[in-house]
Amino acid sequence: MASSRFATFMRGYGRLTIFMIPIGIAINFVGGQIALLLKLPVYLDSIGTILVGATCGGLPGALVGLISNGINSITSPPTFAFAILNVAFGLLAGYFGRIGVFRTWWKTLLSVLPFAFIGGFCGALITIWVFDGLAVGGGAIVVGALTAMGMDLNTANFAAQLPMDVLDKVPTVLIVYAIIKGIPKRLLVKLPLGRVYLGQPNPRAKKPVATTATQP
Amino acid sequence: MTNNAVAAVADRYRQPMTLGNAVLDIHPIAMVAGITALIVVGLASAGWIVPLAVSALFVGIAYLAGRGPSYLVTILKLWIAVGLILFALRALLVKGETVLVPLGPIAITREGIENGLRFTTAVMVICGGVTLFFAIVSMRRLMLALERIGVSPRVSYVILASFQAITDLGATARVVLDAQKARGIETEGNVFVRARAFFPVLAPVFLTAMTATEERAIALDARAFNNPGRHTSLLNLKPLTAVDTVLVVLSLVVAAAAVTGGILGWF
Repeated sequence: MASSRFATFMRGYGRLTIFMIPIGIAINFVGGQIALLLKLPVYLDSIGTILVGATCGGLPGALVGLISNGINSITSPPTFAFAILNVAFGLLAGYFGRIGVFRTWWKTLLSVLPFAFIGGFCGALITIWVFDGLAVGGGAIVVGALTAMGMDLNTANFAAQLPMDVLDKVPTVLIVYAIIKGIPKRLLVKLPLGRVYLGQPNPRAKKPVATTATQP
Repeated sequence: MTNNAVAAVADRYRQPMTLGNAVLDIHPIAMVAGITALIVVGLASAGWIVPLAVSALFVGIAYLAGRGPSYLVTILKLWIAVGLILFALRALLVKGETVLVPLGPIAITREGIENGLRFTTAVMVICGGVTLFFAIVSMRRLMLALERIGVSPRVSYVILASFQAITDLGATARVVLDAQKARGIETEGNVFVRARAFFPVLAPVFLTAMTATEERAIALDARAFNNPGRHTSLLNLKPLTAVDTVLVVLSLVVAAAAVTGGILGWF
């Protein structure tokens, strides 16, 4: 029952999407690892989510985000509270992909603002709601320092997380843009949103999306 | 290999998989129930002693399963990296009446310490349970158990392939990083120099991984992965034993008792 439903759902996205999801998850992790290795002051752990969202659609992207945070929470359970952000990145990337944001570099750069808003603003909200404003991670120390300087705890959370997220999302969307530019055409045609990047306003792509919406 | 040896190998795969340890051999589903019940007990209590005791119990279970030392290292790291920060921030920043140590604009208060202990132990009991589960139950066994109760093999594929891909891509990325270093790309220096190295390292790794999915799809198609019928697997999981069933029932009772007790304020 459940298996056939998942199968029908995935079929609407074509054969390749199911194979792209693990790659997206791995990209999330490896991006973060290399950022650590190069001692960059950013996380860069949502490249895969946005990449899969932009090429395969919002739901596969959201799935990448959800599973990435799930795997992360095996070793660091508090991360799971932030899974909803990564899911939102995937959904938003799917929408942006569909309307062709990742086709031009300046539109891609502009997409940093909504992504950073989700990551920074909503991230701060979760920190405030779930952890009473005192979560863990690099930001916590900054928040603590700002509070010690006399800033209100909630303000300190927003002040610390918003700029950090802008800084994080600029390289993220740029590398997504660069990778999409580099995907060979023969692969792009097989990806659900590939037609956008091949410059074909193909009405055929509307059909599988509509059927998946009515299936479950 | 002689015929006997072949028969022995084949026979091993016919038997349900066993790991040679009573705790490790508990059915993954029963394990989920047991650990969840213990976490609920820890969270239901209003103080910090019960969650701490449950955390200690988790370490004990890990030792019984023969995974003690590695679990202890993981959980101690978590306590230091997560627990200590959570506690210190709360102890310092939560406002209270009884000031213990005044430190300029902020002060350590009794309320802050109590709040910190309670919150930290509650978060850490969840962390301890989750890490214990994954220390004892391998992803393969968990997915096999889930497939048996009707989860799609595609879900198993996505999860298991993700772990494999993280290891593989991580290794490739390091190789490419070294290769690009050898070709003169700066990986030391100021932030901008290092940030620029990010692109030539990751773009090729990610692109190769994405193009390889095509071949993977064909390989799995050749193995009838998309066949809607029931999939067979190389390894068999033991069916739920009497011990497992008792464990599940006991977990439900303990969790229900703990929630009731927590509401009535027993502990």
